[in-house]
Amino acid sequence: MRSPALAIGWEFRRRHRWGLIAVAGYLFVVAMIRFLILEPGDPVLVDSVRFAAVVSVPLTATFVYLLAVFSYGFAGDLAARHSMYPARMFTLPVTNAALVGWPMLYGTAAMAILWMAARLFAVWPSGIEIPLIWPALLGAALLAWTQALTWMPYGLPGIRLIVAVLCLAALDTVVLLAIHFKAGEPGMVAILAPQVPLAYLVARFAVARARRGDVPDWRGLSARSGEIADVLRRPRDHFSSPRRAQMWFEWRRHGRSLPALVGLLLPFELVLLWLAKDAAAFVFEILFLVLITPPFMAAFTGWTGSKPHPNVNDSYGVPPFIATRPLTSAELIAAKLKMAMWSTLSAWVLVFVTTPLALAWSGTWPVLIERAQRMNDAIGTPRAVAFVLLILAAFIVSTWKQLVQSLHIVLTGREWLIKGSVLLTLTFLILLGPIVEWIIDSPSVQRALWNALPLILAGLAGLKMSAAAWIATRLDRSRLLGDRALVLGAACWLVAVLALYGVLVWFFSTPFVARYVLALIAILAVPLARISAAPLALAWNRHR
Amino acid sequence: MSESVISVSELTRRFGATTALDSVSVSLPRGAVYGLVGANGAGKTTLIRHILGLLRAESGSVRVFGLDPVADPVAVLSRIGYLSEENDLPGWMRVDELIRYTSAFYPKWDDAYAEELRRAFALDPAAKIKDLSRGQRARAGLLIALAHRPELLVLDEPSSGLDPIVRRDILGAVIRTIADEGRTVLFSSHLLNEVEEVADHVTMIDYGRIVLSAPLDAIKESHRSLNEAFIAHVGRAATPAPEA
Repeated sequence: MRSPALAIGWEFRRRHRWGLIAVAGYLFVVAMIRFLILEPGDPVLVDSVRFAAVVSVPLTATFVYLLAVFSYGFAGDLAARHSMYPARMFTLPVTNAALVGWPMLYGTAAMAILWMAARLFAVWPSGIEIPLIWPALLGAALLAWTQALTWMPYGLPGIRLIVAVLCLAALDTVVLLAIHFKAGEPGMVAILAPQVPLAYLVARFAVARARRGDVPDWRGLSARSGEIADVLRRPRDHFSSPRRAQMWFEWRRHGRSLPALVGLLLPFELVLLWLAKDAAAFVFEILFLVLITPPFMAAFTGWTGSKPHPNVNDSYGVPPFIATRPLTSAELIAAKLKMAMWSTLSAWVLVFVTTPLALAWSGTWPVLIERAQRMNDAIGTPRAVAFVLLILAAFIVSTWKQLVQSLHIVLTGREWLIKGSVLLTLTFLILLGPIVEWIIDSPSVQRALWNALPLILAGLAGLKMSAAAWIATRLDRSRLLGDRALVLGAACWLVAVLALYGVLVWFFSTPFVARYVLALIAILAVPLARISAAPLALAWNRHR
Repeated sequence: MSESVISVSELTRRFGATTALDSVSVSLPRGAVYGLVGANGAGKTTLIRHILGLLRAESGSVRVFGLDPVADPVAVLSRIGYLSEENDLPGWMRVDELIRYTSAFYPKWDDAYAEELRRAFALDPAAKIKDLSRGQRARAGLLIALAHRPELLVLDEPSSGLDPIVRRDILGAVIRTIADEGRTVLFSSHLLNEVEEVADHVTMIDYGRIVLSAPLDAIKESHRSLNEAFIAHVGRAATPAPEA
């Protein structure tokens, strides 16, 4: 390796070799499907769901992955004020142009190649002309701007995320408008081609600033913010217990991420209500989007929040500062679970406060009232209220579950287990679409599944209870949880299952659904095994 | 001899093909300063991590205050003050928050002593940990390790983080005070002169094995210096001391 260009390129290749191999493998599989399996003009893959499963979703995931790789996003702190460009590279004897230029060149080239390969190898829906050049340029421009904006030092924590989202959304909007006004390939190229050199100049300015340690600090600019800071800095009383202190620690470290993200997205979603006006379907689509936002964002924050070293990609071990806290592993987990609960409630308070206000101000409230009235007339007030509460409770519990359900994997600290779990999840998600559509398209499969449903549910419930029994035994033997805590936990779980079962029986009082099926659904719905396994996972990691 | 604070028996630890600790047995009675010396990678930190319960004994046993630190972490860790070589204090905390948070875990936390140390270490309570220099972070780590007046103070390579002034003027005095109060100090270092200044008892470790464990006075009777003893037992010179 005799040049900085080769060394920088080697680092990307070496560090992300498995991810890049997976991307190459995916493109190879797509090419094989097109050239070896399908006949020319075969429409088998070309419907929306299958196309989404085989092309759109993996392509989008790969795009996001490449954005993170080439902007050094896996190693940096997105919320910090300082640049995300690795500081260790600032001492290399190379110019700022080289520090910026090579990662940008590799990144933009990778984006362009990704699009070209997908354009050439994937099976696209017939009747649509798929452009060759401008989407590649768009990918390259988005990557270049992501690099420029993430490498820039900012005056306040969190500003980077807002600036990046707004700028990239603005670029997307320009492209969507150009498509709307039917701009041709030359027009799109004219819009997008200058973006990369422009982003390069911004990135060079950003890295030069970061390299000389020029990080602006706007935290104490205004007298008002200074006063608030002083109030916040008042010495407070001692924590009443170690558990409360640990809960505070978890909240400060991870708890605010979910409400912040939800708060950031909600205005953009709710503003769409002003466009929806009297279109009832659109209003309900927006409301669904709003309701799905907390659990969806919780899946992301849950994954990063579970990591013992959230800002260090390669380290999954428990840092000594936490590992040497005089608390049991179960108490450390309890603090995480409580933090997740408060984080969930905070996010939902935002939803419950802003959504009615937006409905009222946008004039779409009557649409909701009218639909509620119809439901009231159809199933009666108690059932309508129970239905709405059940749906909301399901969304809230799902948000909390998303925050905590990966704890038992991530806290093991075993890289092979964590990466294997991610791979399995992604594989499952990719296969889910085609499987669901296969079921929808095949009445015989639906009948067979319906007949086998009690057996499937019983099998899953048996699996869950066996896992829970094994985990309880391990918790007891390793003295991670006392007998009282185990019995209390089991009793709480049982009460939750019985309550849910009661509601389901009351709600679905129909001879078509057997009560034992509802009982099995209740057993499967209330979290047990994975959350109980979290203390075991942490203890395995903490005492290696 | 008084009861052992730390009792390690036939402890062996392997990381893949590397044997980090090989049948290590040590027993540290209460009320003295123990220096654990060895070259980088000799096994000092691995031994300390076993004592803290961060590593589970694969073979052999580890007892601290007569307890298994893995099975009973709360009872053991609440009596230990620990300064980590990694210095992994949470960067987002302010110094006053770090003190407030840490104090919650230790019933014997001494607020007045913590404040005295904070002033001695010139730490701004409003400063964020991530904005502190490396030396200041090590001082903050030392503050929270000391302020609950632990029965056992474990310092893992304090020289790697603390600046020369704190090492020379403060650390030595603190260590002697702790020992004089009948508490115990275990500190690891690859700097022999540093150990020689404060330790009562020296344990030398090389390639995971204890090659010498004896009172400092006894070592000095048979060797002119600790460095000479190190060469005699390890077969090579120790790392030279840094500039103070």
